[in-house]
Amino acid sequence: MSNLIRKDAGRNLAVQEQVGQYLTFLVASESFAVSILDVKEIIEIANVTHVPLTPDYIHGVINLRGNVVPVIDLSARLRRRSTVVSKRSCIVLVEIEIAEGAQLIGMLVDEVREILEIPPANIQPAPDFGTDIRTDFIQAMARVDDIFIILLAINRVLSLDELSLLNDLAHTQEHLAVAGE
Amino acid sequence: MSELDAALTVFSQEAEELLTDMEDALLLLETNPDDSETINSLFRAMHTIKGSSGLFGFNCIVAFTHEAESVLDLVRNGERVIDAELISVLLDSKDHTAKLVEHCLTQPDTPIPAELSAVSERLIKQLTGRQETAIQQAAEKSSVESEGGGDISTDDNWLISLDFHYDAFRDGMDPLSFIRYLKTLGEVKEILTLAPDMPTGDDMDPENCYLHIKIAFQSDATKQTIEAVFEFAAEDCDIKILPPNSKIEEYLRLLDQQADTHVQRLGDMLINVGALTKNDVDHALQHQHADSLTEIEVPAKPLGEILVEQHVVQQPLVDQALKKQEQTKQKLASEANYIRVDAAKLGHLINLVGELVISSAAMNLIVERHALTDAGDVAASMNALVNSIRDTALELRMVQIGETFSRFRRMVRDVGKELNKDIELYISGGETELDKTVVEKINDPLTHLIRNALDHGIESAEQRLAAGKPAQGTVQLNAYHESGHIVIQIADDGAGLDSERILAKAIANGLVKADHDLTQQEIYNLIFAAGLSTKDQATNLSGRGVGMDVVKKNIEALRGSVEIDSVTGEGTTITISLPLTLAIIDGFMVGTGQDRYIIPLSMVDECVEMNPEECEIDEIQHYINLRGQVLPYLRLGDYFSNQIIDSNNKRESLVVVKFGQVKAGFVVDHLHGEHQTVIKPLGKVFDNLKGITGATVLGDGNVALILDVQGLINSAIKYQSSSFHRQIKTNLSGERK
Repeated sequence: MSNLIRKDAGRNLAVQEQVGQYLTFLVASESFAVSILDVKEIIEIANVTHVPLTPDYIHGVINLRGNVVPVIDLSARLRRRSTVVSKRSCIVLVEIEIAEGAQLIGMLVDEVREILEIPPANIQPAPDFGTDIRTDFIQAMARVDDIFIILLAINRVLSLDELSLLNDLAHTQEHLAVAGE
Repeated sequence: MSELDAALTVFSQEAEELLTDMEDALLLLETNPDDSETINSLFRAMHTIKGSSGLFGFNCIVAFTHEAESVLDLVRNGERVIDAELISVLLDSKDHTAKLVEHCLTQPDTPIPAELSAVSERLIKQLTGRQETAIQQAAEKSSVESEGGGDISTDDNWLISLDFHYDAFRDGMDPLSFIRYLKTLGEVKEILTLAPDMPTGDDMDPENCYLHIKIAFQSDATKQTIEAVFEFAAEDCDIKILPPNSKIEEYLRLLDQQADTHVQRLGDMLINVGALTKNDVDHALQHQHADSLTEIEVPAKPLGEILVEQHVVQQPLVDQALKKQEQTKQKLASEANYIRVDAAKLGHLINLVGELVISSAAMNLIVERHALTDAGDVAASMNALVNSIRDTALELRMVQIGETFSRFRRMVRDVGKELNKDIELYISGGETELDKTVVEKINDPLTHLIRNALDHGIESAEQRLAAGKPAQGTVQLNAYHESGHIVIQIADDGAGLDSERILAKAIANGLVKADHDLTQQEIYNLIFAAGLSTKDQATNLSGRGVGMDVVKKNIEALRGSVEIDSVTGEGTTITISLPLTLAIIDGFMVGTGQDRYIIPLSMVDECVEMNPEECEIDEIQHYINLRGQVLPYLRLGDYFSNQIIDSNNKRESLVVVKFGQVKAGFVVDHLHGEHQTVIKPLGKVFDNLKGITGATVLGDGNVALILDVQGLINSAIKYQSSSFHRQIKTNLSGERK
């Protein structure tokens, strides 16, 4: 399925050269989109194992055909409330290039909408201000039916260097110590 | 093109292996310069590299290796003596060849740079320059030998000893007729006739034969032919035929030439070269058998010993045959039909086996859940098979650590020379096996630690002598298995760590405060902190204070640990403990709340019920009195969920874990039992995660996390002491109120 999309996307790109395809999804009731070329696979939410001592933007890890794949709570990562998993929740799997190869990461989203073809004319650079999302997370803004959708810069949102800092972590001992007293 | 590439890859691998062998051989020659087999292998290495380089048209390599080969050929033929100097030059030549090979492989189209060719010329000059004088020396030596050899030839005879039985005459034997017949084969030099057991007077029976005859006999005949002369007498006579000394050399040569294709029995080897006849061996074997029957407790004497005792063969021959036998065994072992397999393919296989283990666990789960009794047997036998497949697959990647160890011989030698210290490296436990991936990653830390031992540890010869130690320093590398881990020890007999200096430096660097009261062990561990070096003057080898922290980090990245122990004036021992494999372990599954965790089984000491009535539990200071032993503990659920869960009405268990000498307890809600754990990396996102080292996929498809026992134990201990301090604080504030 994902392969099909990718192939189509590739051909369309080749023929029309400029129209890009984007997957749109909902996160905390807002629409976001990523280039379809970044998307590897979309799966239903499965059993997620919580990883202790991690910040809230790490939702946990899942078993994807025998591989352990981290799942990022996109809502928390974009500084919204943590996602409440519902029937429509999905995991969008994307591949991030790193020095040692590619790392598969899942993004937990509230709902996957559709695949849109957006001509480059409708894509505008990100505004310097005016959004409550870190500007480096925004690759561009796309106008679809007079509504703006944020195109996410996947490499920034899922920057491994940043994710692995796990720095939101208010560590335990102090916590426990406080609770203990 | 791709075929050529493939061929080039093979060439580079082959060259690398040959050069490694060559280095080993050269180092071996330093201690044992007359070993012809080693010299041969040196020659072969150069010869093969020359041949393959010629195939690819790498003329610079051919030109250089040709010279080295010629020199080695001279050595092989005994026309040149191999000495320490030549070995040094050859070692350099080996390095140079490696450089040439690398150059040819990376930039095949550019001519070799001037510096490389200059080195080539210099080395060739060194290799060949002293050749004439060396040949002369060798020639002088050999002429001396041949002069001296003249004396030996006088007793260069077969020694035949005939001890006739009493009944010989009655059976119609005529000892003289044998001797007459013997004369047709060669020249009888001397005959001694003895009658040692001739009784006196009336006791003598004139019909008995009391004769014992010793014959010195010169002949080119083989032992078999000579024995055939006495064939008819065999029943009435003990015949011993000892070959002449000159024959021994021939036998030795023949022994050496025997094919290495299979391991032969000692007797067979000696028969093959003609030093023994089948009768001799059979006789000795009977003797051996009889011995072992009569004396049960005493182990049967080795055949070689019996043969020498019976005077049918000389000691040197037996020694040589035994040596040859051992060599053949080793050679066969090392040649034992290796197949070169792409590491990626092996990795894939191991991944698949991992999947198989998980599927098999899933199957067992279903069989159990549905209580399928008839499927139970099948599942059980399948499980056993999967287990052995797992073990075998993991063994495929196991390699002996000896190869890694022996690489350090060269380093110790070179660094020792550079530092002007005489240092001997002792290696033991080289046959200890561990995963190839671990071996690759342990090389750098080991290199660093050994360099440290050489540079900082071992003192200069003068200092050593002044301290009453032998001038030669020793570094020992040892490896052994211990409870699912491999332990590697690097021990030197140097000055030991200067704890005062380390402490002073650490205080100066702000690593510790001056008023901290540290134990000796804690002080030693400070050397693993970044930026600490006690060496006042940095050398180009070590002493810049970069490294020990990297060593520790590298080892911990392999889920291992490193400990240091030192006695001032006597030396330092560094102990590294590493897991055997990075792929699959035996795990112990525990649960807290809904979460399940795996503890490596090798680290689990015992499980006890967390029962306040049976053992004293100090909830505030977080320790438990377990049979009189104070054990810090950690409530996994609380620790991981970051809050304290009311645990009063739960039945909890305490899992006692140990890492090295340290023990701690983890309090959990459930014990799920043993679990085959296929370790899956958690990925880069969790690089900085503490307390968890990896994940595994359970039979039901869920993911369970593997605990980092070492990290958690440390947290438990810290936790204990921090809660202790807190306790004091609360007490104090209470008093104030």
